[in-house]
Amino acid sequence: MKNKTKYLYLLVLLPFLTVVILFEVIPLIMIIINSFFPDKGGSVTLENYITVFSKPLYKKAILNSVYISCVSSGIGIIIAFFGAKAAHESSGKFHNAFMRVLNMVSNFAGVPLAFAYMIMLGNSGVLLQLGKEIGLDALANYKLYTTSGLTLIYVYFQIPLSTLLLIPAFEGIRKEWQESSLLLGASSTRFWTRIGLPVLMPSILGTISVLFANALAAYATAYALLMNNYALLPINVSGMFVGDVTIRRGLGGALSVCMMLLMVIMILITNRITKRFRKGGAKA
Amino acid sequence: MKKKTTAAHIVIILIGIYLLIPLFATAVYSMFEKWTGLLPEGFSVKHYLTLFTEREFMSALFNTVIICIVPIVITILLVLLALFAVTVYFPRLEKYVQILCMIPYTIQGVILSVSILSLYAGSKGILDNRMVMLVGAYCIIILPYIYQGIRNGLNAVNMPMLLDAAEMLGASKLYGFFRVIVPNIISGITVSSLLAVGIIFGDYVLIRNITGTSFKNVQIYLFLEMKSSSTKASAVFVIIMMTTFLITALVLFLKNKEAKGRAKSAER
Amino acid sequence: MSYIRFENLHKSFGKNEVLKDINLEIEKNQLVTLLGPSGCGKSTLLRCLAGLEDVTSGKVYLDGKDITNVNPKDRDIGMVFQQYSLFPNMTVAQNVAFGLRMKKVPKNEADEKVMKMLENVGLADKAGSYPAQLSGGQQQRAALARAIVTEPKVLLLDEPLSAIDALLRRSLQIEIRRIQREINMTAIFVTHDQDEAMVMSDVIHLMNKGKIEQSANPTDMYTKPVSKFAASFIGHYNILPAEVFGKLVGEDLCCRDVVFRPEVVEISASPTNEEGRYYWQGKIIDSLPHGNILRYAVLSGDTQIDVDVLFRSSMMFDVGQELFLAIKKENCILL
Repeated sequence: MKNKTKYLYLLVLLPFLTVVILFEVIPLIMIIINSFFPDKGGSVTLENYITVFSKPLYKKAILNSVYISCVSSGIGIIIAFFGAKAAHESSGKFHNAFMRVLNMVSNFAGVPLAFAYMIMLGNSGVLLQLGKEIGLDALANYKLYTTSGLTLIYVYFQIPLSTLLLIPAFEGIRKEWQESSLLLGASSTRFWTRIGLPVLMPSILGTISVLFANALAAYATAYALLMNNYALLPINVSGMFVGDVTIRRGLGGALSVCMMLLMVIMILITNRITKRFRKGGAKA
Repeated sequence: MKKKTTAAHIVIILIGIYLLIPLFATAVYSMFEKWTGLLPEGFSVKHYLTLFTEREFMSALFNTVIICIVPIVITILLVLLALFAVTVYFPRLEKYVQILCMIPYTIQGVILSVSILSLYAGSKGILDNRMVMLVGAYCIIILPYIYQGIRNGLNAVNMPMLLDAAEMLGASKLYGFFRVIVPNIISGITVSSLLAVGIIFGDYVLIRNITGTSFKNVQIYLFLEMKSSSTKASAVFVIIMMTTFLITALVLFLKNKEAKGRAKSAER
Repeated sequence: MSYIRFENLHKSFGKNEVLKDINLEIEKNQLVTLLGPSGCGKSTLLRCLAGLEDVTSGKVYLDGKDITNVNPKDRDIGMVFQQYSLFPNMTVAQNVAFGLRMKKVPKNEADEKVMKMLENVGLADKAGSYPAQLSGGQQQRAALARAIVTEPKVLLLDEPLSAIDALLRRSLQIEIRRIQREINMTAIFVTHDQDEAMVMSDVIHLMNKGKIEQSANPTDMYTKPVSKFAASFIGHYNILPAEVFGKLVGEDLCCRDVVFRPEVVEISASPTNEEGRYYWQGKIIDSLPHGNILRYAVLSGDTQIDVDVLFRSSMMFDVGQELFLAIKKENCILL
């Protein structure tokens, strides 16, 4: 008797399940299924994946995406390391102001960010004018609408995110360790390379995989800067489905799957290294 | 020790300047007639004035507010009901609800938008409506944040005991949940809703892919405007960034308040 | 006929059988304690009466009615939980009024009842405070007020004082007992603390491993344990296998265990001889003061026996001292 009324409450779950199944589960499954069917019609095939890995445009898109994601994450994490270390060592007003700035600009990305860089470093940007005035050619002739320009913007949005993610990890570095290594005659650099970095490594790697995913998925920044004139995974994926050209579900699906796979690969790699570090750390 | 903090302060100042320059430069740019030489010339706020009298911009602002509120309200209700059913009646299902809620963390906006679009565009019925697709997509994108906020809130109150107590006093479980449990997790829900507002407010990819320019929010407006007039666009930029900062500041303020409240009640 | 009755009650969580064929009757207007170690099923039994747990089989009767399948909200039972069961978003007065509101009591009448009840538990000045602003003891008084303001048929208390420090606990025990007597309420109190059970109860039901081990009033529970478990849980009994004790006193005892309390053992430096006593010898290996009593650990053969004496200078023995022990035969419980 009571059990029956209990199952009535499954109805309460129904709205949630409806929305999640309609807009999360089915779309994701369908995009994977579609990637195995040719756009011209036909049966199951790997044709779309072959196209992705043989056509220069798509190969270029994958390479560009991986390159920009790796470089921006790498630079980002290095700056974040020093930023988080400084935040950890500072206190009071400096610390609070820094935290406030980081939190504020952590939402500064996408179209507004690209726009701000265009104002500063675009073809008639403010800084370029400045370069001309003071005769600094490198600045005066800077080309923002290139891979390196795009990377520069990506680095910007990686810094606050990675610093905010790393700061809690620094709490794990005990003051006592630093003091005792100092008493044992180790220099500060030695402390960081021998003790600090290995202890932080799991957090650093975890942060790197977040940064990589963040850069890989960034669409608005790249699109605002370069529109469709650049080979980049998210731009190409969107291009397959949106716009005036015919919709190519199969090829677009294959590109999307590649994009998701890249994420999975990155997570697997960082997990692997993290495990090794944890093991080594335990032995030492 | 003293030397160390000085070094830290220098690093902080350098990074701070680096992060603030683009904001500052664009803000200054928006308040002058032109900036082609070393210094900007002709201070003016006319860009702002024109914006606030322009119908198109105001409607973009209005659209943004609507598209922020609707998915958030829907998602909060869905998650509350689901978590109520799951924690009270089907504890074994909780794991699966959690997985469904966390998946969107790992899928990119691009992929979610194109997969929803390709599935339902041209289909018959209500799902073909672009606005329905957009709201659905936003619900999914903010799901992990809303879920986490509500879940943390529920963990902080002793929900089984409070529900038992309400029931012994003659309330039904559903009544107890909405009158006793929900009021206690409002602050957690507020914080996660604000995070969600930040996400939807800053979104460009979903709205661009799903509704194109047929439904303009301020991001789309900025994108279109910066192709034609960079000075006017810079004013839009400032308004967007001010709003974003306001949301972030509110989140931080509420989080701090809650943390202090916790510390206070922990003292007792 | 009894007021509350459990009939062949079984309760399992999966394969784990928590209550095994409970048959229990509780009289009206009494305060009854379910006592036992954690995991013995006492809280589950209480929650079955409250309706917060479904029973696997068996029946529950309250006031002559079968309530086995009645929803908890319709059972007319008040309950006080462990700490933190007050609704944190409501003031003390709102908490106490909650049940009245559910019963649709008119507002004026409800307000009056709430104030009266708060005065009774000594919280009249805290009516507008939130639970987080109260001490643990005040919170539990408010919870008590909330549970009884609707005048339920029975009041259930599920370890309500377990999170409260010892000193305050004692005064709350007395207060709960006073209020229960004043309003003549049937109450069931769950605790794992035997002292608490002794102080508060009309009847104690001692539970172990999902069964009722013994039901008795506090005096009988203390002086006449019916099993080794009851002896070890209530008071500080010496429990000896009959064989061992028989050897010590040189007598054959036809039972499995002999139990006796430390304070019934008499000790002296020289042998005595009176009728109706068991005699044996031992050596003091330790002495520990416990407030006004002194507890000696005495080694007799291979067995350690605890002996309590009043703490006074005339009865002092040294560690290492050999002495003579005696116990009245009627104070030895043979199990």
